[in-house]
Formats: sequence, C-alpha cells, structure tokens
Amino acid sequence: MTVTLSPPLDTAPPPPKARKTMGLGERLSAYAYIAPFFLIFGVFGLFPFAFTFYVALFDWNPIGDQVFIGFDNFVRMFGDPRFWNAAGNTVSIWALSTVPQLLLALVLAHVLNHARLRFALFFRMSVLVPYITSVAATAIVFVQLFDRDYGLLNWLLGFVGVEPIDFVQSTWGSHLLIATMVMWRWFGYTTLLYLASLQSVPRSVFEAAAIDGAGPWQRFRHITVPSLRPVIIFTVVTSTIGGLQIFTEPLLIASGAPLTCGAVRQCQTLTLFLYEQGFGQFEFGYGSAVGVALFVMVVVIAAINYLLSTRIKADR
Amino acid sequence: MKLRSLLLRAAAISALLTACTPGGGGGGGGDGKSFEFWSFSAINQKLTVDAYQAKRPDIRIKLTEVGTSTETAQSLTTALAGGKVPDLVLIQGDNLPQFVEQPQNFVDLRTLGADEIKGDYLDWVWKQSVAKDGEVLGIPTDVGGMAVAYRTDLFAAAGLPTDREAVSALWPTWDAFIETGKRYKQATGKAFTDNAATSVFYQAVNQVSEKYHSADRKLVYDTNPQVKAAFDLGIKAATAGITSGQSSFESAWSTGMAQGQYAAVSAPSWMLNSIRSTAPDTKGKWDIAKIPGGSGNWGGSYLAIPKRAKNPQAAWEYVKEMQSPQGQLEHFARVGALPSTPSVYQDSKLTGEKDPFFSGAPTGKIYTDSLLGLKPFYIGPDSAAIGQEFLNAITNVEQSGGNPATAWDDALRNIKTAIGE
Repeated sequence: MTVTLSPPLDTAPPPPKARKTMGLGERLSAYAYIAPFFLIFGVFGLFPFAFTFYVALFDWNPIGDQVFIGFDNFVRMFGDPRFWNAAGNTVSIWALSTVPQLLLALVLAHVLNHARLRFALFFRMSVLVPYITSVAATAIVFVQLFDRDYGLLNWLLGFVGVEPIDFVQSTWGSHLLIATMVMWRWFGYTTLLYLASLQSVPRSVFEAAAIDGAGPWQRFRHITVPSLRPVIIFTVVTSTIGGLQIFTEPLLIASGAPLTCGAVRQCQTLTLFLYEQGFGQFEFGYGSAVGVALFVMVVVIAAINYLLSTRIKADR
Repeated sequence: MKLRSLLLRAAAISALLTACTPGGGGGGGGDGKSFEFWSFSAINQKLTVDAYQAKRPDIRIKLTEVGTSTETAQSLTTALAGGKVPDLVLIQGDNLPQFVEQPQNFVDLRTLGADEIKGDYLDWVWKQSVAKDGEVLGIPTDVGGMAVAYRTDLFAAAGLPTDREAVSALWPTWDAFIETGKRYKQATGKAFTDNAATSVFYQAVNQVSEKYHSADRKLVYDTNPQVKAAFDLGIKAATAGITSGQSSFESAWSTGMAQGQYAAVSAPSWMLNSIRSTAPDTKGKWDIAKIPGGSGNWGGSYLAIPKRAKNPQAAWEYVKEMQSPQGQLEHFARVGALPSTPSVYQDSKLTGEKDPFFSGAPTGKIYTDSLLGLKPFYIGPDSAAIGQEFLNAITNVEQSGGNPATAWDDALRNIKTAIGE
C-alpha cells in the first residue's frame, strides 16, 4: 500500500539552481490562482462577518436611522426571555438530533462495510437519498406524518390507545419532529463518511479478528469504533456547528407562525430568532447581536469539542 | 446546508449594508417611456398591466412578481437600503407602517397631484399611507372587507339555517357567533370554526374605532377596552370548544377545510381565493354571510413610488389611470379585488357579481357593505408585532393548553419584550 505513495524516482526534486531563475510573476502567479476564492470569501464571508460585529453596536434601521448604542443590544439580549428560550430550544434539538444520528450512522456504516453484504453499492447509495432531497420536500412529508388529525404516526399510536398528539404545538413534540427531520437528512451523509473511513481499514484485520473468535459486537467495539475515532470527532464538531444553526426545518413546520415556530416560540431556534429580529422586525442591530452570540457559542462548543477530542487521543 | 444558507443570508445583509444611504440621491433620469413594477405573485397583476399596455402601447412595463406580500416588502427594504429600486411597488397594508415611518424613502405623491384624486378613495384607507408631516406615500389599490364563509351543507346537517340572510341574522354580535358555534357543536359534535385567534380575535380587533394606538399615535394596546374586549372574545371562543384548533394556512387547516372539519371561517375578501384553491372539491357548498359586528376591514394594498425611481412620472400615470374608480372597478371584474373607491360600490358591475363557488353570493355587495361607515384608526410600525403576540397568546390557550386566566397578562408581557417598551 505505502509503495504507491512514495514518489517515483524519475520525478526527483529539481536542482536548487532552477529555483533561482523563477521570476517575480511566476512567484505571484500562485496567489493569482487562489485569489478568486479569497476574493469571493472576503466579499461574502469575511466582510459580512466582521460587519455583523459593527452593526451589533447600533440601533440599525435598514431604511431609516442608524444610532450607535454601544452594548445596549447585548444587555437587552441577556435580559430577553425569547433569546434564552431560543438557546434552550437549539440545544435541545441539537442533542435530540445529533446523538441518535451519529450512533445510527456508526451502526449503519459497520453493516454496510460487511464483506458478505449483497447489493452493497445500492445500499450505500440509498442512504444518501435523504441528503439530496430538498429540505422543503422533507418538511412537507414529515409535517404530514406527524399531523394531529390525519398523521400516520397518530393513526398508529391510536391502535395502542394513545390520544392524538399535537406535535407541532407542543414543545417536546416539535423538537422531536425537527430532530427527526435533521436526523433523516444527515444520517446518510455521516454514514458515508464513516464508511469511507472504515474502508481504509484492511479487511484482513476484521477477518483475523473473526478467526480469533471475536463476535460482531467485539469487532464493532474494538475495530470499527477505534479506527473511526478521527472521523467521529470530525462529525461531532461539524454536526454541533450545524445543529446550532438549524433554521430551515423549524421555519417550515409551523406555517401559521413560521418566524416564531409556533405561538409560544416552542421550537424557535437561535438562527430563526436572529432572522425574525433581522428580517421580520427589521431590527438589524439586535439581530446582529444575536448573530455575535451565536458565533461565540459555536466557538466555545468547538473549543470544548477540540479539548475533549485531544484528551481522548492522549488517553489512548 | 444550514451553514451555506446562513452565509447567503449574511451576504444578503452585507449587500444591504454596504451601500446604506437611505433615501439618498434624487429620482428621475429615466426615459419616461418605461417603468419597473414590483407586485406580489398569485394576484393576477399581469392582467391589469396588460390592460394598461393595450391603452398605452408607447409605454413599456417591466412587471416583476416578487413573491408573497411579505417577501415583496423584504425585497423593497433591501432595495431601498442600497439596491436598485423599482419605479412602482405594491405594499400590503400590514407592511405599510414600517415604510410610512420612513417617508424619506418615497416620493411624496402630493408632488405628482395626489391631492386631486384624494376624494375618490375611502378616507380611512387613504389616511393609512399618510406620514406624520402629511406626505402621501401610497395610493390604495384595494381593501379587504370582512365576512364569514360557511358551509351550507354542514349548517343544514346541524339544523341551522342556510340562507345567507338568515345566517347573518344568527350572529349580529361575536357573542352570538360563539353561541351559534355551541349550537352547532351540540348538534354535530364537530368544530364550528377553524380557530379562535384569526377567525374571532383578529376580526374583532379590526372592527374598533381605536386599535393599539390612540388618535395622537400613543401606544394604548394595554389600556384600550376595545382591544381587551376583542381579546376576551378570542379567549371565550378558544375555551368554548367550538374551534378545531387549526391555525390559518397551516397544512392541518387546509386538510380540515377540504374535509369539512369546520363549518365556518372568517373570510376577508382575499380569503375567498384561499378557500377556492385549498378546497376545490367543496365548490358550491359554501355561502357568505355578514361578519358579526357588521363591518370591518382587514388587508388591502398600496402603490408607492420609491424616491430613487428612474421613471416616477410614467409610474404615476399608470397609477392615475388604473387606480381611478373606473380602473379599480375593471380590476375587480378581472381579479375580484375590492375597490377602495366608494363611488363604484353601487355600480351594477360590482353589485351584480355572483360567485358560483359560494352558492352565487353577491360578493361585491356583501364585502363593500362591510366597508361603509368605518372609522380610521392609526396603524403603527409596532402594530403587526403587537397583533402577533395577542394571536399567539390565544393560540396558546387554544392549542397548547395555556391558562386562559393569565393569557392577557402573558400577552402584554410578551408585547413589551417584543417592542422593547
């Protein structure tokens, strides 16, 4: 395996002399090649990002006055029950969606990597279908499945004597609904990441373990999980960041009051609160302050993730 | 891609902020022979544009159907803050106050001759687009009179009258409406109306002489007895067990309508189109009765010309022609939008209009009747947020088991948070 990775002999590094003759234009050309990305990133990524911090210090009406108010937006935010409600909802939905999703993906990847699986390609491709389906379409289907009066789920629950549950209107119900949609959308993607990583583990390791008498659970526990550790850490970090930014699903499920995700903001996430303030109420300053808070939360959680994951590595 | 959508929004905000010179720069400079018109989708604006085009072949109109009324207002905000503005834009009444508050963004239509045509329009509708120093920012294109749409077959099954006069007589007041609901529920065991928040409170609160603000534009939502009375009606309906607890325009609401889960729904004139498209199989099973309380308005839109418009004159000529009483009457005949010009309310083209979907109800007559004798009340930039919190409080009682006794106080507290008072 490693043989193919080492460079063939005939492409040995050029003699140092060649390097001296490289002109200025040639040196700069590399920057020209990467410039398009950084220019676009600067305009659409970096600048808005930095500008958000600036706007957060203003009472900013997009078509009226912009008044500098210092940190008043943040003071208001910390005393705003709607903000804390949104933060709580976000964490709740994130936990409900991420933990089961990663576990499911882990098991699925293990199964899809099985040597004796028939039609492996078909199954491996199939798990990606939810990921390429539009969120709006997913939302329509799931809202109907979870519907109070005509939903399949309530119909099934009816057989075991459960009264119809109004999922969208209740706090935990709406969180469950959104978490299910998020999970549905992302588990295939995560599974493929795990699977790709698993496939770099030589099959002989699994076979050797099987010959040594390791059962499926032991192979999963002692080969699959350890060899996936780096990619598990990666998916935990990315799904955490993604989970804190859940927006489309809550926007789409409560069409009666979309920007608040229901009458009592029962499933309004932080990004939705940001959007409501910015584009529903046109309070750009306050919306930006929420954006800054969201940024800080993502950084903190990513840092915790990083520390934890390096500890796990060190423990090994 | 949640991250990407967030970045896109961030990009939109930045595009909006980079060139932030609201109202900056003068207008004009166009060729005067063309103009750009932003309207909503799904309201058949093209028919009226085509009609104008036929009269004035020398003018080129670029019509853009931006999206829903809210999306159009959002795009307009972005455009006003620094993008390319249209020459003419349609603004829905609910979104209007936020723009009226910032009159420097629009052409004061008095400079183009709005005062001459002022008398053609309902005065309380006209006043809603007048800014604090008297600038006229928009010309009312239509209004949203109020009525109740009901299912004749379901009413008959419950032993209630089905004739629209007799049904109107059932509910001279909202209390009587709720009582009728109880009778229906007793007879059939089914819900009478869709929800308390929109079908009762939001109608009743639009029938007041003073809403969330006093005449001198001070906030009075917490002390105005008319608002409290409307709110109490909403709570009464929510706790009477006569609603099916489905918020307007939610998917369950649509299914419920198609399935006949509720028999009556408050229907401002624009709601008729929603009923037609939501429950096409119920054609002919509906009829329309008067709204409890007799009169009221919800909705209606305005045409405005942004300050930086390139062809304000061409746009104004369109407005004058197509929004004249005759123009609005023709528009009503084409798409059913109620004229805001009372002089045509007796015209046979309007009173003679019968709608087969609603058992041949004379929609023009029923709705314009609900518009006469209304008093103007001030609608401020916070009105939408205040109304939303009241709606939410009632929906909470109705659908999520909230406590009706504390609903009013909860609503006031949420409003204070929302509008930062």
